[in-house]
Amino acid sequence: MKKVMAFALATTMALSLAACGGSTSSSTAASSTAASTAASTAASGSTAAVGDANVAVFYYSFSDTYISSVRTALDAALESAGIKYQDYDGNSNQTTQNEQIDTALASGANLLIVNLVTSGSSDASSAICDKAASAGVPVIFFNRAVEEDGSEGAVLGKYENIAFVGTDAPEAGHMQGKMIGNYVLEHYDDIDLNGDGQISYAMFKGDASNVEAIYRTQYGVEDADAVLTEAGKPALVYFDSSNADKYQLDLTGNWSAQAANEYMTTNLSQYTEANGNMIELIICNNDNMAEGCISALNSAGYNLGTGEDCTTIPVFGVDATDSAQQLIADGKMTGTIKQDAQGMADAIAFLAGNAAAGKDLMDGTDSYTKDTANNLDNKIFIAYQEYAG
Amino acid sequence: MTNPIKNMQQKMADFQALDARDKKRAIGEGLINNAIYILLVIFVIYTYSRNPMFITTSSIVNIISLAAASMPIALGIGGCIVLTGTDLSAGRVVGLTAAISAAMLQAMDWGNRIFPNLPEMPIGVVILTVIIVGGIVGLVNGFFVAKFSLHPFIVTLATQLIVYGAILMFFMANGNNGQPLSGLSEKFKNFVTGTWFSIPTSSGKSVAVPWYVLYAIIMIIVMWFIWNKTTFGKNMFAVGSNMEAANVSGVNVFKTTVMVHTLAGCMYGITGFIESARIASNTANTGLNYECDAIAACVIGGVSFVGGTGKISGIVTGVLLLRIIFVALNFLSISGNMQYIIKGLIILIACSIDMRKYLVRK
Repeated sequence: MKKVMAFALATTMALSLAACGGSTSSSTAASSTAASTAASTAASGSTAAVGDANVAVFYYSFSDTYISSVRTALDAALESAGIKYQDYDGNSNQTTQNEQIDTALASGANLLIVNLVTSGSSDASSAICDKAASAGVPVIFFNRAVEEDGSEGAVLGKYENIAFVGTDAPEAGHMQGKMIGNYVLEHYDDIDLNGDGQISYAMFKGDASNVEAIYRTQYGVEDADAVLTEAGKPALVYFDSSNADKYQLDLTGNWSAQAANEYMTTNLSQYTEANGNMIELIICNNDNMAEGCISALNSAGYNLGTGEDCTTIPVFGVDATDSAQQLIADGKMTGTIKQDAQGMADAIAFLAGNAAAGKDLMDGTDSYTKDTANNLDNKIFIAYQEYAG
Repeated sequence: MTNPIKNMQQKMADFQALDARDKKRAIGEGLINNAIYILLVIFVIYTYSRNPMFITTSSIVNIISLAAASMPIALGIGGCIVLTGTDLSAGRVVGLTAAISAAMLQAMDWGNRIFPNLPEMPIGVVILTVIIVGGIVGLVNGFFVAKFSLHPFIVTLATQLIVYGAILMFFMANGNNGQPLSGLSEKFKNFVTGTWFSIPTSSGKSVAVPWYVLYAIIMIIVMWFIWNKTTFGKNMFAVGSNMEAANVSGVNVFKTTVMVHTLAGCMYGITGFIESARIASNTANTGLNYECDAIAACVIGGVSFVGGTGKISGIVTGVLLLRIIFVALNFLSISGNMQYIIKGLIILIACSIDMRKYLVRK
């Protein structure tokens, strides 16, 4: 009996742990790029002050495609500025990141560059600012929002010696929506496969709680609708009338191609041209999901590229990853919104240079676009761009 | 190892011999023991009544294809569970092998090849490579489990992290900057997702069944053979049910454990190969948490953590069941949140029923 109990307990424990494998895997902490640190140390600073700089850079996840491009660009920018730095992988876990920040501060970091894990949480960012303030260290946040929407200034207006370099979260959604609206307007009759005068669309959302994902999901459709209704066309219609959410969500929150692919193949088993209810437009929160959808469409004989005899369903993404650009060039994908990784890295490196030289963090940044609407001088926006090949 | 048909006949005879009250109880037991399948049938009927599209050729082919994609990993992990262990590294091994397959089989004219100077690789070489890479990780798992009597949970947790690190480095390699690996060659895509055969439907169109369904069927047959018809398979069950006894009776426990894990690793390699072409966009997160679904499929299918029990048919059923739930919830337009709850409940019920059998027996 005892043995059975032991087995039962062991089974329960093993299962519960296995079921939350996602969080057990999250302890890949601080995979520091030792090689690049060594390299930057070798290229010693131009001034004594810069040489003393010890920058710690915290990324929310090394596995993110766009963040990886920023990381490469930022590593190069810091290296060429002769600033010593170390990269940390938060592995999508705010607790891990906070612990890494504690460790970095304890080991003498004098500038923190933080890609917050919990996007848009002023609690998370305040906690980091408090840590930095008590150590007298400036903080540069980047990419992921540090404040809730509508409470701009709650963090950036409150603390001294902090800055934010990122994008205006709703902007990508707005741009994507306008791009889709214009494209649909221009090709209305080609897109409307069943000729019912309406365009049915599918929407793939990358993460339930990410601010960017929420805005992209909302404005990607709303702004497209605005363009269409203004031109006297009916608004877009979600392909599945019984789905109240009007999107399909990557449950793992990974913006993954796999989730989009599996949803799309399942959709295509039910919604087809033969049934007269084919999905006529696909909107994705990012390019990975768009690629997953395209793979599903390919299997069903759609979007095979220019020069092939097939119907092409317009697919839109965000990020303009290398492979998305290639897909657009091949005629398999329609459009995406480019996030400027290099521009973001350059802006961050510029601020880091200021801090290293002992100047004010925001010294000489007047040429950047800032959040003037909320009067925040320390919030720099890097603009998105439309990309359609 | 009892013969299932004889077993059934015996059960039937026992059942006939019972008096009316005991018969009633036996039926009740039977209902409870098969509760999961009964619930599934009710669920399928309900979905069908709400959305008749659920049982059409294209929908059934879709369910089978989705199940086929996650079949090899579940078949591999099943062996580890038979040994009372588990394998947390499975998903990451899938990710690594998917990345390797994609890197080796990018189209020659694709603009962002990670290895621009790599000549066109024959598909056979790639399959062999991923099987070897997966096998090596499995070998390491098995070695540490068997040699140092470490719990597989610990060993595979460690290798999961190590493999993830390797994946991250792989994606940063050669100026790839973590960009997704895609632009796979047509040959590769056709080999995996191309049409094996088509089923004509009433509307005049036809539904294509992809090649990887065939590969999954082959894997099922191979694994069934290994589990049931080879000495290694018998040894695996012997070690799983009682390691001491197996050792005393002359089974090489070390070799068996290492081989089970290596075989599992090879299966993950094959999964990675298929996933790579199926998803077509491979990132560092490809394969994340695949082991969870695979383990869930195994335990739902009756591969018990008690060890020494499990059937290939059970694993196949488990995988199908999870996929049916995924598709059905989509057809019912139920929010994904429910999927977690339903999956969790099913695992709980399935395992409770499973353990109940042992409790009754003892």
